Formats: sequence, structure tokens, C-alpha cells
Amino acid sequence: MASVTLSSVDLRYPSGTQGLAGIDLHVEDGEFVALLGPSGSGKTTLLRTVAGFLAPTSGRVLLGERVVAGDGAFVAPEHRSLGMVFQQHAVWPHWSVGRNVEYPLKLAKVPRRERAERVASVLELVGLAGAAKRDPATLSGGQRQRVALARAIVAEPGVLLLDEALSALDEPLRDRLRLELQSLTRRFGLTVIHVTHDRDEALALADRVVVLDGGRIQQVATPPELVSRPASAFVARFVSDATIIAGALVPGTTGAGGFVGSGHAVRIDAAVIERGGTEGSRDGAEVHLAILPEDVVLAPSGRAGDGDAVVVSSLFGREGNDVVVDWGGLALRSRTAGFRPIVGERVLVRVRRAIAYPGGASRSPLVPVPLGV
Amino acid sequence: MTTARTPSAPATEATAVAPAGGVGEPTVGQQRPSRHGLTRPDGLTAVRVLVWLACAAVIIVPLASVVVLAAGGKHLPFLLQGDVVEAGVNSFVSATLSSLGAVVVGTALALLFERTDLPGRRVLRLVALSPLLVPPFVGAIAWIGVAGPTSPLNVWWRGITGEPLWSVYGGDGVVFLLTVHSYPIALLIVTAAIKRIPADLEQAARISGASAVRALGTVTLPLVRPALISAFTLIAVSNLADFGIPSIIGTPERFVTLSTLVYRYLQSGTIDSPLEVVATIGVVLLAIALLALVAEMAVSRRRTELDASSSPPQRLPLGRARPPVAIVTWGFVLALTLLPLIALLTQALLPAPGVPLTFENLTLDNIVRAVTASGTLSAIGNSVMLAGLAGAICVVLGLAIGALATRTRARDNGALSAIALLPQAIPGLVIAVAWLVIAPRIGLFNTPWLILAAYVTSFVALVVQSVGAPLRATPLSAEEAARVSGAGRLRALVDISARMALPAALAGGVLVVLSAVRELTLSVLLLSPGSQTLGVAIFNLQQAGAYNAASALALLVTIAGLAGLGLAARSSR
Repeated sequence: MASVTLSSVDLRYPSGTQGLAGIDLHVEDGEFVALLGPSGSGKTTLLRTVAGFLAPTSGRVLLGERVVAGDGAFVAPEHRSLGMVFQQHAVWPHWSVGRNVEYPLKLAKVPRRERAERVASVLELVGLAGAAKRDPATLSGGQRQRVALARAIVAEPGVLLLDEALSALDEPLRDRLRLELQSLTRRFGLTVIHVTHDRDEALALADRVVVLDGGRIQQVATPPELVSRPASAFVARFVSDATIIAGALVPGTTGAGGFVGSGHAVRIDAAVIERGGTEGSRDGAEVHLAILPEDVVLAPSGRAGDGDAVVVSSLFGREGNDVVVDWGGLALRSRTAGFRPIVGERVLVRVRRAIAYPGGASRSPLVPVPLGV
Repeated sequence: MTTARTPSAPATEATAVAPAGGVGEPTVGQQRPSRHGLTRPDGLTAVRVLVWLACAAVIIVPLASVVVLAAGGKHLPFLLQGDVVEAGVNSFVSATLSSLGAVVVGTALALLFERTDLPGRRVLRLVALSPLLVPPFVGAIAWIGVAGPTSPLNVWWRGITGEPLWSVYGGDGVVFLLTVHSYPIALLIVTAAIKRIPADLEQAARISGASAVRALGTVTLPLVRPALISAFTLIAVSNLADFGIPSIIGTPERFVTLSTLVYRYLQSGTIDSPLEVVATIGVVLLAIALLALVAEMAVSRRRTELDASSSPPQRLPLGRARPPVAIVTWGFVLALTLLPLIALLTQALLPAPGVPLTFENLTLDNIVRAVTASGTLSAIGNSVMLAGLAGAICVVLGLAIGALATRTRARDNGALSAIALLPQAIPGLVIAVAWLVIAPRIGLFNTPWLILAAYVTSFVALVVQSVGAPLRATPLSAEEAARVSGAGRLRALVDISARMALPAALAGGVLVVLSAVRELTLSVLLLSPGSQTLGVAIFNLQQAGAYNAASALALLVTIAGLAGLGLAARSSR
């Protein structure tokens, strides 16, 4: 197993599109890191740069102590001793399961007898014992993905790369493979880089999550930290569906001070506002206020026509109902356990906690999501 | 690039690390991100160079030399002479009319088979496609048995009216036979186009209030128009220079086309510098073919995007018209397909033309004589050897071209596949002339290898086309998975994509072999002593007046071809 280090990696496509910008990332030996971001955020570009399918325009990529890209060197993917699982499994249909899994060993010139043993044992490991002779066409989607995983780890790669490896599977199966993937990689102490657009998957599996947007790293944090202390308004919105409101912090003594929305008649008391981001925000500054759904408490109003918000949608969820209310023209998201209002009902809104980020600094313009979207 | 990689170096060694930097880009951004990482010269580059050399040798150089030879232009006035102009007009008119007829017949049958509840449509479709499996010159020989002056039909009619009903000899017969032998292509193309049209489109028209017939006419037919046009150009170009049909059916009535004229020029030394004249005619044909190709591309560019068809099409119930439509269609198709085969069979079994068809007169002598004649045996040997070699070469070259053009990213990919597919749009006549032109300079003059070379030029496109679809359908990640597993670019291409396309390449190779075995135009023009092929043997028997022996041999070729294609179709499934 090996660590992965990227330092000041830039990647610009021939078309001029910036794929990656100033990426600094160190993945420890044996660590499970998830790359998370919206489509086009650069997470797959980053993974393919590590794999060697893309060459950085500048910066260095190291596998362990070895420079594989940068400093005038470039090591082709086949010489990086990696394992990779692709979204569409990429199991070769013209070969049996055994030949698929055997291929990396064959290229590494492992003797035939040893190859057979290792193929058998890795197939057993992924729950496909005795399937070596089978035609991939006779396997289910989940089984094919297991074959792909077996093929990726059979040669004991330095790093295991997973490119949306579970995304093509249906929900109950994906959940089970998630569990198996974690126990397998932990048992063998594999270094894993896992690309996904599924937030819950990234949070569930990874030791650390790297959030990407526009080719830049937005935050690197453990899952609990990422959820409770997002580094920017973007991260708060992308990871936790926070409602973002543009406005300003107004100074004041008791009660009167706090956040005033621009374009919204929204006022948030200073007592519940935390200062997020690296520099923090001073009073009077333009800020983006992020309110996590968990911090919005809804309560039934006493009488019809009373209350300060109208319910726009109300979806049932296991850990809490996912409710959107129209709060003075602002679509506010809430996760409320125990109380599921009906659409059109008037409810009382209380914000328990909000995080203020310096405004204008964020790369992507954060406009509150208009109602009805 | 300065250092070459040591091939034997272990994977982990630093020898795999080549100095970066493209030739013209010394500073930052040396490594342009490409889907395959750095593109530095490796085994794949060597293969690309080899493939280009092969393409140059079998396609570019011969075709260029015809153009160069004709470019002097001093024989252009010759083209305006009476018999050349007449032959040109005959070629053009017969190609246009037969192509038009083929598209009309093919479209009508395609609509009947795909969109109506015609009884027995599945069987009838296969029967209707069968002329595709019979070489055109064999078809010509067969139709002489149906509608020649001494055929039972005309003999019987003359007994009643004193006049023959219709003789297949002459210009009308050429157009008829070209139509019969090309409507299956139109049927195939139009059927594929109709199948691509989602049934929802017609159903939406029906919901909007259109009748079934109206929906067919206003929605389906306009959408298949590009297919009709491309079928028309394809057929017209190939009929423009067909040799077998006009020489067997047209020549007795002095109906001369460009291909038969060229044959005459080359065979009898009636004109000075025949090769240059023939090259000039070839270039004119080439220009017409390319113009047609460009016109077709311009039309098909406006093709509309169609979503994948999901629901099965609604078939139009023929209702009360069903029995008459069925009788007419079945009768028509059987007359076009079964009648000539029966005629071929009886001719093969009768001792001489005109002998009444009775059981006592039937004999296997023709077949025995045809098979045991030494000329025939050597012709069979030649054909099998040349066709087999052509098939093998085309499989390797076609697979390499297809794999490079679809699975790698390089600026010359488009040019490579265009050049490989070009000969398909070029009349066989031009290809034969091209090889005649360069034969003396490369020492192949008067050898059978000239025919082999021409086969490769003509037929490599068949393999390139048949591997195209599987190669394009292979996801990029299949090869990337091999790269990560430790395979180099070339190894990944060979082990994964090429290997996955191999069945398609072999099916294409079988098609090459079958086309080459039954080929006449190239073989007859490039004939050298001792290199007579099967097609030429039949043609010569026919020309010598040994109609029944020619029929016997033609029958055997047809049966072998049908069996071979049936086998190929089964194995490719």
C-alpha cells in the first residue's frame, strides 16, 4: 500500500477548460478518502490524474515516494501499480470471470500456478467463490461489480481507485456492497480514493471527505466535521442542503443585532449566529448565511391563518421529514422529526443556529433557491 | 522524444519515465492532457505507421496512378467519340433506371414486411433477399434460361403468337437484371431505417387523428427519405460499372456499357495505348462516383436525430385486401427469385439449350464435366486460394484500421477510415484499371497476385465496416481497466478492443471470401495465364457457347455461396 500526494496540481484541458486548480492533497497509507462534488467539479478529473489517464499541466503527483507526474516525468497508467473499479464495471465480456481477474497477474508475469490460487482466493473474498469459469454475461450487475473489484485488488495494488463504482447499482444492492466494500478495504488496510456524487455514500464510507467544486478543493474533513462545520456556504449547501441567504450582519446590543437579509425580510438573532469560514465575518460585513435543515425547527401554529411560514412541500423521511416552507418569500429547508405538516399549512419557524460566511468571496454566486424549484 | 523505452524493462523501473515535453512545447504545459495520458511514440505508433503504409500500398498508390496517368488529358477527346459516348449514356441510363427501380421495389417490400400484417412476411423477406447471394453474372445466365429467346416461356409463346414474349437480351434486360440484383440492398437499407423510427411517432400521429395510412405517409416515409437517397446513390454507383450483366445480357444485342467497352479495349488491340484511354474512362467514373458520394453526404447531414425505439410498431391491418396483396407479393417475389434458380437447375441438367424438359432428358453430365474439367479445377483452386488470402489479409488490415480509427485519438483517424472505406464507392472497373496501370512497375504483371491485390483494395472496407459497430460500442473504461491492470496502450488495444471485435472481423472476412470467390469484374480484367478464377471460368464457358456447362458450374457456385453465407450468419449470432 502507498500514500498519494498531490502538490499544486493544475490541469487545463486542450479546449482551455480548467479541470483542476491548485490541488494539494495527501492521502495517508491505508486511508479511505472520498472525493465528493457536483458534476463537473473535477472529482473524476482528479482521480484520472492519479490513475495516469490525464497528465497535470503543472504540479506533482506522488505515489508513495515515487514521482509519477511532474518534474518532467510521467509514468503511464500501466506502470503505476494501481487497481481501479469503473462505474460501468468494465468487465471484459469476451473472457471468463477467471481470465478477467487473472489479467493483471498475467501482465505482472506471475507464474500460472500462483495465478490460479490468487484468483480463487480473491474471488472467494468478494463472495464469488467458484465463479472463475463463468461467462460475465450470466452475472448480475452486482456480481459483475464484484468481479471488477476482484480484478482491481488481485495484484495487490498500491492504491485502489473507485470511479463511481457503486453508482450504477440499484439501491438495496448498493447498500450491501457499501458495507462489504468497507469491511474488505479496512481488513486489508487498502489505500482507497473513492469518487462519488452521492453525499451519504461519501459520508458513510470515508475516513476523510474531499469536497470539490470548479476544480478546486473546498474542504477536506472527517464526515462529522464536514456536517457540523462546513468550511463555506457552498459546502453547507452541497453537503447538507443548507439554505443560503445573502445579507449583512448589523451591530447592536441585545435583540436588535444580528443578520438582516437583503431582499428578504429575514432577521436572525445574533445569539444563534456562528462565524464560519477561515477569516470569520465582522459586523457590518456582507455575508452569506447558511442555515442547516436540522437547525430549522417547525411547530404547528395554534390557529388556521396564524404562523409565519407556509409549507410548500413536505416529504416523509426516516430520520426526519424533509419540509420546505415559504418564509417571507424565502424557500427554507427543514428536517423536522415527529411533526409532518401538510402542504399549504401555516407553521411557526424557529432557527436554532446559523453560520455566517464572508460574502462575495465564494466562487459560485449563491443566490437563494427561488420558490418552486 | 529522445530516449526510447527499453522493452524488457520491468514495470516498476524508472525506465518507464520518459522525459516529458512535446517537440515544440518546451515549457509548462508540456504534457497535454489526453485521454490516454502522454502520447509518446510506442508500439501503437509503429502499428499506426504500418497501417498507413499498407493503406498507401493497396489503396492510395493504385488509385493515384490511374489519376496521374489520365491527368495528361490527351485522351479526353477520345472520350467524345461515338462509341464511348454511347457506352457512357448506356451506363448512366441503365444505372439510374435500375437504381430507381431497386429503391421503389425495395421500399415497397420493406413497408409490406415491416409495417403490415402480410401473411408469411418473415419467410418472404428472406426469400426476397436471396438475389443478394447470387453473383450478378450467374443471375444473368439464369435469367437467360427464363426469358432467353430459346427459353420454354418464349418458345411456348412463339408457338401461339409467332413472336417471342420478351427477350431478356438488350438494354431493357440489363436494366431489369440490375434491378433484380440490387433491390435487396435497398430492402436492407430501408428496413433498417424503418426499424429505427420509434413506433411512438406514428402512434402520436394516430392519436392526433391521422389514419394508419396517413401516419405512414406523413410521418414514417419522410423520416426514411435519407435512407432512400443513400440506397439510391449506393446502388447507382455500383451498377454504373457492373460487368457481368451487360456483357452477358447486353453484348449480344450490341448494348455496350463503359465496362464492356473497357473490356473490349483491353482484350483486342483495336486502339493505341489502351491503358491510358481506359484510365481516362476510369477517372471519369471515379469522378462520378465521388460526386455521388459527396451529394449523398450533403443530404444525409440533415438527418434528424431519433430516439431509440421502445414499443413495438403498430402493424397496419390489410383487412379485406390481405389475400390479394399476399398473392401479388408472394407471386412477385417468387417469380424474381425462384424462377431463375429453377431455370438454372434445368439448364444444368439438360444436355443442350432447347432440349425439351422431360425426365428422360435430364442428365448429370454437365455437372460432372464442369467439375472434372481441368480448367475448372484449377479455377476453383485459384479462386479458393486468392479469396482465402484476401480474406485473411482483409481481416488483419481491416481490424487494425477499425481499431486505430475508433479506439485511439489522433488527428489522422478520420482520413484513415475514409481512405479504407473509399474503394467501396469506387466501381470495380476503376480498381482493376488502377492495378493494371501499376502492375508492370511493381513486377506483378501477369501474375495472380495482381488479382489478390485488387481483391484486398475492393473488399477491405467490408471488414472495416463490420468491426465499426462493436468497436464503437466498447466503453472506454474497458481499455482503461486493462491499462490500470498493467497493459501498455498497444497491449490494451489488442487484448481488449481488438479481441472483442474479432468475431465481427471474422464475419467480415467470410464475407470477403464469399465476395471474392464469386467475383468477375476484377478477375476478368486482371486475368493472366494460369490465374483463371471460378467467375472467369463460368464467364468463358458462357462466351464459348457452352451454356449448359456454364449453368452447371454457376449452380454449384450459387449453392456453395448460399451454404457459406448461411453458415456465416449462424456463426455470427
